[in-house]
Amino acid sequence: MNPVGDIVTGINNGMREIWANKVRSVLSMSGIILGVAALVSMVGIVQGMLSTMRESFEQSGGVLKLEVHPKDAPESQQHIAGISPSMTWRDYIAIKKAIPLAKYTTPIVDMRWSRFVAQGRREGAMIDGVTPEHNNIETREIEYGRFIADIDIRQKSPVIVIGTHLRDELFPELQSAVGQKMRMQGQVYTIVGQFVEEQSLPGQKRRWNIENRKNYMPATTAMSRFQGDDKVNEIHIIAYQREDLPDLINQIENTLTRTHRGINDFEIRTQEDQLAELKKLENSFIYSLGGIAGISLIVGGIGIMNVMLASVSERIREIGVRKAIGARSYDIFIQFLFESIVTSVLGGIVGLAVSVGLLSIAQNLIPEGQAISIFPISAMFYGFLFSSTIGFISGIYPAMRAARLDPIDALRYE
Amino acid sequence: MTDSENIFQLKDLRRTYIVGSEKVHALDGIDLTITNREFIAVIGTSGSGKSTLMNMLGFMDSPTSGQMEFEDKDVTGIDGSGRARLRANRIGFVFQSFNLLPRLNVLDNVLLPLSYSTKKFNNHHDLGLEALERVGMTHRASHTPNQLSGGERQRVAIARSLINNPRLILADEPTGNLDSKNRGRIMELFASLMSEGITLALVTHDDAVADYAQRKIRMEDGRIIEDSKS
Repeated sequence: MNPVGDIVTGINNGMREIWANKVRSVLSMSGIILGVAALVSMVGIVQGMLSTMRESFEQSGGVLKLEVHPKDAPESQQHIAGISPSMTWRDYIAIKKAIPLAKYTTPIVDMRWSRFVAQGRREGAMIDGVTPEHNNIETREIEYGRFIADIDIRQKSPVIVIGTHLRDELFPELQSAVGQKMRMQGQVYTIVGQFVEEQSLPGQKRRWNIENRKNYMPATTAMSRFQGDDKVNEIHIIAYQREDLPDLINQIENTLTRTHRGINDFEIRTQEDQLAELKKLENSFIYSLGGIAGISLIVGGIGIMNVMLASVSERIREIGVRKAIGARSYDIFIQFLFESIVTSVLGGIVGLAVSVGLLSIAQNLIPEGQAISIFPISAMFYGFLFSSTIGFISGIYPAMRAARLDPIDALRYE
Repeated sequence: MTDSENIFQLKDLRRTYIVGSEKVHALDGIDLTITNREFIAVIGTSGSGKSTLMNMLGFMDSPTSGQMEFEDKDVTGIDGSGRARLRANRIGFVFQSFNLLPRLNVLDNVLLPLSYSTKKFNNHHDLGLEALERVGMTHRASHTPNQLSGGERQRVAIARSLINNPRLILADEPTGNLDSKNRGRIMELFASLMSEGITLALVTHDDAVADYAQRKIRMEDGRIIEDSKS
């Protein structure tokens, strides 16, 4: 007995049989083709979209980021809530000075939508007052100039770091708007830095990308020139490592409870929830799409089994002849099993090719589609493995029926 | 290893089928010895047990009782895959309805037994052509069976039975589907192969066909009623 030879012969005979019945083979393969194509392209698309989401989550600080937001004091403290100064610059300083577990800290002074004027053009955009460490938390690359510096904070400098959207609207003729001046609520600001343009999709107007619409000025400038007080809207903190998060949260809570005179009018939000949400989304996508594709593969397997059973009853005489000239039941079993396996493996290969086509279409059609890989290796591997296994399983029963035939009866069969 | 003189020795061989509640004695005590280079015709009406005997000799069936020796070895209780091995290596079959596989060409049909044989053969292609030459069908090697006449198909089937150098060729009504002209040609082919040293047992109900054989075995009700050598 020679297993390698058996396999080679099995593949050869299987191919021959498939070639001899082209239409029938293509029909029986079609279920597997569609199943594999659906499985691989769906998983590929979802993986691509999720990796985009994950990327933007990581870019905005990832799971190490904490956000302190103001909230209403609890019922029991309502009557004394007024003694809290609420969230202020002092909170930021306190965290920065007292909590070594905080790697980077920045206040956010949210100035919402502001109108900018330069060279007779006007455009509205978001602007936040922040400190230099903001750019370590939300890591955006500066293409021209610099980010806000410590000296800007100390001197309350009238400087702005802009995204490409403002440059496009106010200085359309310039590549770099650094050094240009623009007015905001009657005051003149100098542009000291400009972010790299975040890539947009082919066909999508780049002004739609919200990242390019973000602009920053020193938090101290925002407070003194616009607010007239030292209130801040949020404080963002990055931890060194995930294990530090519980301690860090505790320490922030203690520190802010002191600065807020015991009033619990703030909350610390972690990104764990967001991460869990992301994971949940990932799983629900993969299970639901994988389930649908899996069912279509099983349907494909049933199709193969059906065709194989028909093929066995069609070839009863052939089986009789083969047995008479010396085939063992095992040889017949292997022959039919391999026919089924070869059918599904070929179907799987065609399905993989179809999925490459579908994925490259999806890459161009779906927003954020550039993250979709045309060759999602693991999905392809599992799709192929699954389809081959289906072929194997759906071939067993027909092959057993063929192998069990009695040669005398089979030869007599008309 | 030299081949033993005895090919088959059957002693009180019985094969009983149970049809419904009745026992049918298809073989009812057969004693038979087949030696090297014999040309045997088994004659009998349908139901006489001649096909069952052929199935026994071809290792397609096992006896209910009795003893069966093949090449001086007891093969009475041999299992399915052991019987398959013997069919693959030691026996050649020729059928009434030829039983060529329609999807394979003539040469591949002839070579088919080699894929189940455990004997080592080198250069299958040449062996196949050689077998086709012995039956005069080399010129049809790449045709499919459907393109051949009945007589030609039977010649190809005979070439297939020769390919693995069998000890015994069994032919079940090999001329049953042929006209008288082709019948004569096939029998002459068998006769000439006999002179090359094969051993042949054929089943027939046609006395003209049986006349080609040196030994005639007549069967009735599962028993040998006449065993004559000419």
